[in-house]
Amino acid sequence: MPDSAQPVLVIGGGPAGLEAARAVASIGGRALLVERRDVLGGTPDESSYAALTPRMGSAQEALDALRAGVEDPAIDVRRSTTLKACSGSVGDFRVTLSGPAGESTESVGAIIVATGFQHFDPGRETQMYGYYEHADVITLPDAEKMLKDHRFVRPSTGEPPRNVAFIQCVGSRDRRIGNEYCSKVCCGVASKEAIEIRRLLPDTKVYIFYIDMRMYGFWENEIYWPAQEQHNINYIRGIVTEIVAKDGRLLMKGEDTTMGRPLEVLMDVIVLSVGMEPSRGTRDVAGILGVAQNKYGFIALPGEPMDVVTTSVPGIFVAGAAAGPKDLEDTVGMAGAAALRAVGVVRGAAGAGAGGAGAMAAR
Amino acid sequence: MPIPLTVLETRREARDDRGPGTPPTEDVREKVFELEAAGEWLVQRVPDPWIGVTTKYGRTKKIPVARTWHHKSCGQCGHIPGYSTSIFWLIRKLGLDYNDPRDQTSCTAWNYYASATSNQGAQAAVAMRNFGAAYESGYFPMIHCGTSYGHYKEVREELVHSAELRDEVRRICDKLGKPFVMPEEIVHYSEWVYAMRDEFAKRRVLDLSGIDVTVHPACHYHKLVVEDAIYDPDVYGGQRTAVVSAVVTTLGANVKDYSTWFDCCGFGFRHILVQRDFTRSFATLRKIEVMQEEANPDVVLTHDTGCVTTLDQSQFAARAHDRKVGVPVMSEAQFAALAMGAHPYRVAQLHWHNTEYRPLLEKMGIDWRERWREFEDDLARLKGDPKAFLTWEDADA
Amino acid sequence: MSVVLQARYDDVPIEDKARLFGQVQADPRFQTYLYGCYECGICVAACPSARFYDFSPRKIAQAASRQDLPMFYEQLNDDIWNCSQCFSCTRCPRGNNPGGLITIMREVAINNGLTSAKNALEGYGRVVYKIMSTGTQVSPDMLQPNAFPDWGPHVQEISDNLGLWRRALPPDTMHTTSTAWEVDDRTLTELYLIWHMTGVLDMIKSVDAGLHMILNDVMEELLEEAGFEAG
Repeated sequence: MPDSAQPVLVIGGGPAGLEAARAVASIGGRALLVERRDVLGGTPDESSYAALTPRMGSAQEALDALRAGVEDPAIDVRRSTTLKACSGSVGDFRVTLSGPAGESTESVGAIIVATGFQHFDPGRETQMYGYYEHADVITLPDAEKMLKDHRFVRPSTGEPPRNVAFIQCVGSRDRRIGNEYCSKVCCGVASKEAIEIRRLLPDTKVYIFYIDMRMYGFWENEIYWPAQEQHNINYIRGIVTEIVAKDGRLLMKGEDTTMGRPLEVLMDVIVLSVGMEPSRGTRDVAGILGVAQNKYGFIALPGEPMDVVTTSVPGIFVAGAAAGPKDLEDTVGMAGAAALRAVGVVRGAAGAGAGGAGAMAAR
Repeated sequence: MPIPLTVLETRREARDDRGPGTPPTEDVREKVFELEAAGEWLVQRVPDPWIGVTTKYGRTKKIPVARTWHHKSCGQCGHIPGYSTSIFWLIRKLGLDYNDPRDQTSCTAWNYYASATSNQGAQAAVAMRNFGAAYESGYFPMIHCGTSYGHYKEVREELVHSAELRDEVRRICDKLGKPFVMPEEIVHYSEWVYAMRDEFAKRRVLDLSGIDVTVHPACHYHKLVVEDAIYDPDVYGGQRTAVVSAVVTTLGANVKDYSTWFDCCGFGFRHILVQRDFTRSFATLRKIEVMQEEANPDVVLTHDTGCVTTLDQSQFAARAHDRKVGVPVMSEAQFAALAMGAHPYRVAQLHWHNTEYRPLLEKMGIDWRERWREFEDDLARLKGDPKAFLTWEDADA
Repeated sequence: MSVVLQARYDDVPIEDKARLFGQVQADPRFQTYLYGCYECGICVAACPSARFYDFSPRKIAQAASRQDLPMFYEQLNDDIWNCSQCFSCTRCPRGNNPGGLITIMREVAINNGLTSAKNALEGYGRVVYKIMSTGTQVSPDMLQPNAFPDWGPHVQEISDNLGLWRRALPPDTMHTTSTAWEVDDRTLTELYLIWHMTGVLDMIKSVDAGLHMILNDVMEELLEEAGFEAG
């Protein structure tokens, strides 16, 4: 039965899910937060993010604050738990959860999907960057892990690199891969990591090879300009076709398009700026809930651009990168909006009985 | 300090968690069958038995074991005849049935890419005429040339996506009296060699453990309509085509890497014929010299007509300029045949090759002086009888 | 708005350039060979010709994307014949095929009998003759020392022994010297018919009238014998 005390199911304990659950509780609702892993924090935790773009604040501190937000009697946090099945409709969903104590069935009034993204696998056969061949070819999250420990070395030798290059748009904006979209954050994250590397290793030269640098809004002055003006990071407009080994180092082949010449340079470490793809959780959960996905597998938003949280199924909302590439600002913004809508439909459904009114409210 | 092996192993383990992605391209073979169902053309099925291999986006491709119709290569038959002969020899060695047709023309794509003195309709008609001929013979097309293979895949794409082109070519085939047929798979001989590599290894008679090989992949094999090429996670981390390289390893020789692996050979289609300064420079400076400096190979193996010609013939002039050249070049089919005891002159026909190959033969344990003497005896015999030819029986005598 | 950079061939009317560009655009393959261009240079990075010539597949794609007619026309004359047609440039993230675009541009150059196309094919006529009249592009008897002086004395050796060495080949389709393998007459007839029906012979006429005449003579006879009406 619809009931104004029905909880909102929040699937995913990353920044979007944590913030959504906190927001549900803060406006008087109840939340049931389920997380696949045994810790909260999502991808920023799993991938060991060090400093957050653009202001270089500690990722750990930010995550701690988010985790503290769900320490609330109105939020039932279930770790190591996944969604197995779902039936019912807005105001009165029945969900089957599988956790450490076995399976259980719960009644929830609305659902917020916050299952996030995964980093593009740069070792995919469409790439010629040798991620599975050369230890010194790494990804943004691989670099992030090292930077979190305040070190940056060539994985093959443990020595600090003299020359480091970032390659942008790996797994994004690529028709051949099937990911035609921009992943939004990689330009900023790469520049941020480049600055961190320069701070750690002042003698190391750092290059960023790009198609377009997309440093929108304040990321421009907070990241891009300082990277060039204070940290002497070299931005070269041109993208790299392949990486091969030469003389124990990495040879990358590109074109310096503004100079109009093919370019072959030796690097010690090459960081692939991998984009975002829907996580397996996003794909699985979308299937179980029956919400529409776009052609890339992200959760579709029929009401865009004015409604960025409502999915194709009444009573089911989405927050964060499950709906497409997002930065953290967008993610927590969506989480708040989703919480508001979710609590709204729970209350609306309780007021009007099951079905219609809730579905209306969902639109 | 982490050692690289651990780094890469950890990565590869994590890779399995990600699961296979959805292929970014449509499976053109499904469209080929849809068009058959719509009555647009016939589809020639891959005959049983076939071997399943994995292509770029994780799909399975059927490689016929036998009953193959050999779409020969003009450059191989014309200038590197040991190439085609070795392919046939391998098939015969395994006791398999094949068809070496006279009702076959070149794909004419070498000319098309060189001079553009042709057009889409003509190119598609040539392809479909040859496919029609294969169908009539009851044998399944196996394409010897990388360019024919790449070009026929282009033609297949174009035919699948254009009703007008299908109509034009169907009309031509009708007039020629040829059936309008698309094969279920477009198969390159090097895919068959890859699929059969364990059979070759079983029949290997030479120890190749001391032989270092650099591989040159043919552009028209792996860059032109990319999704049909064979990839294997165990070869180059699955990011480069596995043909040739996997065969070398299976035969017990050593694959050596070099930094211009992805580069083309410099053939250039028109350049090899009328602008060879480019071809020679590219082949020697970008390929052979780099291989020499970085890998010091005993031999370069490749799997296409133009690549063998370019890499082999270009070295002569470079020698005059004191460039670091002098690596013998042949196809992996010739190399596999030699490894299985094929005669270097009667079968591999190495006297048609330019760059010095005798030190390689010695290293492989082949007595080339004795073999050449035998071949000279063959030639003397043939000279005495203008109607006589070297037979397959002679080849293995 | 179109950004027009300074280009050569100022004397050629822009209408002519537009007409030729229109022919390139009208090719059914054009739409899948050129989507849009990031101008990222990955094609140049992969391009062999870019390493030895002042040649850029990026600029070919860029000019066509921008519909920069003067630049297009300059490339049509001065650049496209430098391409190696290896298709390394299909590495493009946008799914462009600059090499394929060049194939189309070359076809247009041939069809319109551009002087630059004729120059590019100088010395190539014998190859066109061989492929169109025999069905195999290269033949053993093309290995003549005067044709391949840079391949060394080895070519002379092959040429001296050609007939004998060809007979020393086990596959019996390969005992030929003037074709790569033995092609049936019926097969050749069918090939000739294809050249006729698809207008390829007419293309030859526009770049080499003499060659066209010879080919026509060769083909006519066989086609008539086989009971086909040529042309």
